[in-house]
Amino acid sequence: MTAFGSERLLEVAEAALGTGGADDVEALVYRQAGGLTRFASSRIHQSAWREDLWVRVRVAVDGNRVGTATVHAADADAVRRTARRAAEVAGTMPPDPGYPGMPGPAAYPEAGRHDEATAAADPATRAGLVAGVIRRLPAGIVAAGACETRELEIALANTRGVRAAGATTAASFSILADAGSGTGWAEGTEPALADLDVAALGERAARKAVDSREPRELAPGAYPVVLEPTAASVMVQWLGWLGFGAKAYDEGRSFLVGRLGQRVCSPLVTIVDDATAADTIAVGFDFEGVPKRRVTLIDEGVAASLVYDFRAATGHGVEPTGHGLPAPSAEGALPMHLAMLPGHIPQAELVAGLERGLLVTRFHYTNLVNLMDTTITGMTRDGTFWVEDGKVAGAVRNLRFTQSILEALSSVRAVGAETELAAEDGYGAARAPALAIDRFSFSSATTF
Amino acid sequence: MEPEELTGLALEAAVGAGAGYADARWVREETEGLTVTDDRVDDLEAEESSGLGVRVLVDGRWGFAASAVLDPARARELAARAVEVARASAALPGDPVRLAPVDPAVATWSTPLGRDPFAVPLGERVGLLLAACDAQRSVPGLAHAKATVDLWRRRTVLWSTEGTRLDQTVTQTGAGIEAAAVGDGDLQQRSWPNSFRGQYQAGGWEVVEAADLVGNGPRVAAEAVQLLRAPPLPERVTTVILDGQQLALQVHESVGHPLELDRILGMEAAYAGTSFVGPEDLGRLRYGSPLMSVTADATTPGGLGTFAFDDEGVPAQRSPLVTDGLVAGFLTSRETAAGVGAGSCGAMRADGWGSMPLIRMTNVHLEPGQGRLDDLVADTPDGLLLSVNRSWSIDDRRVNFQFGVEAAWEINGGRLGRLYRNATYDGRTTEFWSSLDAVSGAESWVVWGVPNCGKGQPFQNARVGHGVAPARFHQVHVGVGR
Repeated sequence: MTAFGSERLLEVAEAALGTGGADDVEALVYRQAGGLTRFASSRIHQSAWREDLWVRVRVAVDGNRVGTATVHAADADAVRRTARRAAEVAGTMPPDPGYPGMPGPAAYPEAGRHDEATAAADPATRAGLVAGVIRRLPAGIVAAGACETRELEIALANTRGVRAAGATTAASFSILADAGSGTGWAEGTEPALADLDVAALGERAARKAVDSREPRELAPGAYPVVLEPTAASVMVQWLGWLGFGAKAYDEGRSFLVGRLGQRVCSPLVTIVDDATAADTIAVGFDFEGVPKRRVTLIDEGVAASLVYDFRAATGHGVEPTGHGLPAPSAEGALPMHLAMLPGHIPQAELVAGLERGLLVTRFHYTNLVNLMDTTITGMTRDGTFWVEDGKVAGAVRNLRFTQSILEALSSVRAVGAETELAAEDGYGAARAPALAIDRFSFSSATTF
Repeated sequence: MEPEELTGLALEAAVGAGAGYADARWVREETEGLTVTDDRVDDLEAEESSGLGVRVLVDGRWGFAASAVLDPARARELAARAVEVARASAALPGDPVRLAPVDPAVATWSTPLGRDPFAVPLGERVGLLLAACDAQRSVPGLAHAKATVDLWRRRTVLWSTEGTRLDQTVTQTGAGIEAAAVGDGDLQQRSWPNSFRGQYQAGGWEVVEAADLVGNGPRVAAEAVQLLRAPPLPERVTTVILDGQQLALQVHESVGHPLELDRILGMEAAYAGTSFVGPEDLGRLRYGSPLMSVTADATTPGGLGTFAFDDEGVPAQRSPLVTDGLVAGFLTSRETAAGVGAGSCGAMRADGWGSMPLIRMTNVHLEPGQGRLDDLVADTPDGLLLSVNRSWSIDDRRVNFQFGVEAAWEINGGRLGRLYRNATYDGRTTEFWSSLDAVSGAESWVVWGVPNCGKGQPFQNARVGHGVAPARFHQVHVGVGR
């Protein structure tokens, strides 16, 4: 059950292109395979391996009637059958006057890293890593988490001559250490399993768990905070959802409406979307076969740019940026490789510079409260500490924050030098540094 | 190749490779999603997915392997891979998994349908949604109108080494409208019958027709426009009535999840979290007021959690979770039930061929009380009616929650008054449910669909149901962060 490879994936895609009576045909092939070893109470309790492959065919007939159909199968007959279905759907669709056609051939940037050892990692390898970390935990600590390795292959072909294919791998390890009255967390994601220092992650989680014991109650309110990269990345992920796409902007459902070109947060904050960065997990083209470009979304605090899929770019008379989802899409373009650029201050010094405030390891179950002012809510978990005179002075019970992201990013005092790639729910990972923020609003507290 | 041949081959190979128990689940899922925005089709997704998932127990350890790329050789390979995964899990010590007994089931079952939704011509579906958008756009001041229909059909062939032979087809249908008003740097949205693409139930096209998307379009659009001009809800502590749509999610987050036994036992600690409830709380913990009775019922007609057998072959059943305010039961699997000396309540479900079954809510209902929503409002001297969810969050032990709703109406002297926007409320689970003092009756009781319940690693999405009637709570903190 090894990788298909570019040639074979493109063969699968090309089976769709001969659909009779079509003006345009596009086939997107997406294959993902990998394993996950999951543990809880310091034992491996759920482990799985799976391989999925789907082909999504988009067909335009009569110039601008568009239909799509998707099948999870790799054989040419199934793909051709799906293409015919897409054509039937297209025939029943009303004309779409805004249909821009499909992109043509292009040169694609180098992006992503395919690591053979990660793609081939077997269950024993993952279980061995987990077991090694668990065995080194101090007495009295139990752990939960997951070790995952996966391989992603994407290919796209269309009747305008696009032939794009790419592959990447990803490895992640997460651990929640439980020391009784306190828990600690650490996670890491890299393109290659060998680059993950799982022992260090285990030690960090265990140390936080010990330090989190016997948390004291803290009244909700506004406090200075240091957000570790895992927590800071959640704010970057949410901004990505809330309105950098040109379609969302055009429809007035973007926090950037009326703010492009204006200062929206601290000059210390620069956010880019960059699939070509060496430390991200990506291929060099989007789901329409357009090359991915690095886009600076917030440039030293100024709202700088939107991202465009082929339709929005055509409508605006600009070049698409390579952020298209499978078209047509009600969502429009989305930035999918977000990164906040690091500063120059080591993370430890951010805490040392905090007179009185909170150190937050991780957020939990964040959700949108108000789109236009970018207010989100969520909980802290697995390591929330009171800091006094630059030193951790003990753990506090977890707090709920209700906070505008832009307001928080406007009061950033310092940006950490190290970054981490994290994703709260497994999707839309963003790379972020630790942030020192002068004012962060906690609206309520919980009991642990 | 017929699915029964693939499941048979996989079981044979699993036993041959050393599995003490195995089940093979072939699933074929068809989905069709249609989105119309204003006057054009914005998105149409038609997807067909089939694959095989093989789950094994080897020396008391689980292993699972699945693929969409299928032939007889691959079915055998998957079984071998699942056994390899299970053997690797022995890298750490631990008690072997035991399964609560279940009688092997041999049955075929399908969701009863009025009109097969997949047989409704696409042109008819598009026409309905365009008309629903037109109805909204008749209201001056509206920025965008949206209308959606989603269809899901899942056929599951489940075979196990204990003799289970099931062939089950579940069909679910959903539809909704969303009216958006934009202006003065704000965006307000009103939805019908529910937010996040509408109301979903098990059943056919009759679910769409019951929503009356066209008839409700002008009212919903007018409310969106009114919300844009409404003041934000000020902070205070007051009495609230939750409408059915919001109450369904309140039950989901603060009652259903905390009573999942895998969470209680720590199996979901790293991602979804655990629970403030312990196994020892059964029959002892006061969860809420005596008016609070909650039932898990996979047999309720129309629920998104309605089926004949779960993905372990356990028959659908009705079981109490909270009775008169006291914890009366948990949502369980064969593995977790054995750990507490009980039988499974039949709550194990996977989100497709590629996932291991997890404990998921079926239909978790708040049992009805008396009267109608109008009676409840008339009986409330001062408070708020909170309508239709737009935001939700709860801590990892399910204690501290915060919700946002699309609309809040002031209640003054038993009558609805001023409309507020950006309404939120927060609280703690048992304090909140202890403040429950009235639940509307069966005539207001509706099974709402929650189609986006996330849990597990790798992430799985489940579709669950909640039967509720509007209910009233006291001393609730509203207007969070104002």
